[in-house]
Amino acid sequence: MDSLIVAAAQALAAGDVLGALKRVALRDDAPALALRGIAMAQLGDLARAKTLLKSAARAFGPREAVARARCVVAEAEIALVSRDLGWPEKALETARAALEKHGDRINAAHARNLQIRRLLLIGHLDEAERLLARLDPSPLPPAVRASHELAVAGIAIRRLRIEPARAALTRAAEAAQKAGIPALIVEVQDAARLLDEPAARLVAKEGERPLSLDEVEALLASDAFVVDACRNVVRRAGDIISLVSRPVLFALARVLAEAAPADAPRALLLSRAFGARHADESHRARLRVEVGRLRAALEPLAEISATAEGFVLTPRLPGDAVVLAPPVEVEHASVLALLSDGEAWSSSALSIALSTSPRTVQRALDALATAGMVQSVGNGRACRWMMPPVVGFPTTLLLPGPLPSD
Amino acid sequence: MKKLQAEIIREYGPFDNAPRVNGVTFDGQHVWFASGEKLHALNPESGEQVRTIDVASHAGTAFDGRYLYQIAEDQIHKVDPETGKILSTIPAPGHGGDSGLAWSEGSLWVGQHRGRKIYEIDPETGAIRRTIESNRIVTGVTWVDGELWHGTWEGEESDVRRVDPVTGDVLERLEMPEGTGVSGLESDGKDRFYAGGGGSGKLRVIRRPR
Repeated sequence: MDSLIVAAAQALAAGDVLGALKRVALRDDAPALALRGIAMAQLGDLARAKTLLKSAARAFGPREAVARARCVVAEAEIALVSRDLGWPEKALETARAALEKHGDRINAAHARNLQIRRLLLIGHLDEAERLLARLDPSPLPPAVRASHELAVAGIAIRRLRIEPARAALTRAAEAAQKAGIPALIVEVQDAARLLDEPAARLVAKEGERPLSLDEVEALLASDAFVVDACRNVVRRAGDIISLVSRPVLFALARVLAEAAPADAPRALLLSRAFGARHADESHRARLRVEVGRLRAALEPLAEISATAEGFVLTPRLPGDAVVLAPPVEVEHASVLALLSDGEAWSSSALSIALSTSPRTVQRALDALATAGMVQSVGNGRACRWMMPPVVGFPTTLLLPGPLPSD
Repeated sequence: MKKLQAEIIREYGPFDNAPRVNGVTFDGQHVWFASGEKLHALNPESGEQVRTIDVASHAGTAFDGRYLYQIAEDQIHKVDPETGKILSTIPAPGHGGDSGLAWSEGSLWVGQHRGRKIYEIDPETGAIRRTIESNRIVTGVTWVDGELWHGTWEGEESDVRRVDPVTGDVLERLEMPEGTGVSGLESDGKDRFYAGGGGSGKLRVIRRPR
């Protein structure tokens, strides 16, 4: 490296972003472009940072594979932070392999962390866990270690293994302190706070109460028959029946569980499942058909019988029937769950993360925007969606991913 | 052109108080190296540091028999090794794109990193006296017995090479092992080169071939 690049890198490492920029502001050689890109990213100008890093990667010579790979990794980090989930992951893997091959283990590990965090965001937990298992965090410097532990915690939280998640967050906090990077310390604190916020509501015959993630974990491990409205499944201990693609059956199951051990009146079932305001004979016939389907679906876990007033649900094994509901019930809650990370998302990134069609996501965003729950900035392809500040929508159970305990 | 594998006979560092080695020189007794914010004097026999001077040191280092010269940002400082004081400052010819510094025959020789050049300049004024073209990134410069040597480090490839000071033609090359680069080069006047290892924080001794 040359003199001003060393001086600028030294300033950047010491947190003097403007000092670094001042030294390389007028230079357009590859290392200067890369440094300016990183400085811009630290100043929050991600669009400019992306352009600079792209030109830097192009400007490095054919012998400078490592420098080029580092630019690609930095670009991938910016893409992840700006929730650009369509960014080519293949390029990141190529860069990671190049760094590993040339012995730059720290940046290779950093690239691996980015891959894992991207998989976490789009809910591919198994793959994320597989990559995580291949990474030995012990030789990593504190900052990379902290982000590694955040990924470990992220997976544990989504799998509802709260003790391991807490342990990982404690290690992340220690590493972040050691690294002394304020943004990282705050990120770890935010993640830890999530564990203590109410994550769901328990609706049972005695009434409702908020549940923390620990309590959710305990509930799902207990003998209770749980209608889980966070994931649209019905479960008891390890047995899970998914009603994700059958919303009418799920709505019926929920009404029955809320009423259990008493019966749920027909009128209530009709209004909650079909939105019917009054019950005529055709509605009653439809209800009979749908209850028959639900009875068949829930057969292994519960029995549904007709009563004079309506229907009653009885778990086959001892244990109460309860409903696990999101803490705040709104439509399109899963979109809000993603937006509540405080980042600006494109609708295409939301569609990748939720594995739903861009049209469905767009409809949800339009509805939420009309209700004043989300806002957008920019137009066309540059349009980004975010939550208005200070909403505090706890999200964990609504985040994408396989079902807890899968 | 002769091509040999560089023979590394000793390694110092990395040092706790030096994050990198940006430049190297030799005062006949101690090896001085630039670590970014300091100059460090090292006893080459024991490998112990004998003292440090607080001075910005981002690239090449040189010694003229009495004073040290040190590139910092886009300037070259003349430093009194006794007091650590900066005595004078001249502009660096590469405007901060400089890497590698040597003193010989009343001139300073400055490597220009991506410019792939070596400048001969007036140590008093900084005026350019001569320009030698290289075809590689220059990361260190030294003179020994009338021979001009410079270090190169481009991505994964690095070597120490002797060039014709008039034409810039490469006469001899010592290839560095994979994963080791040269940032800063100095001869001890006899059979050794001292070479800085950049971000590895190492200082290496390379045998000069006969």
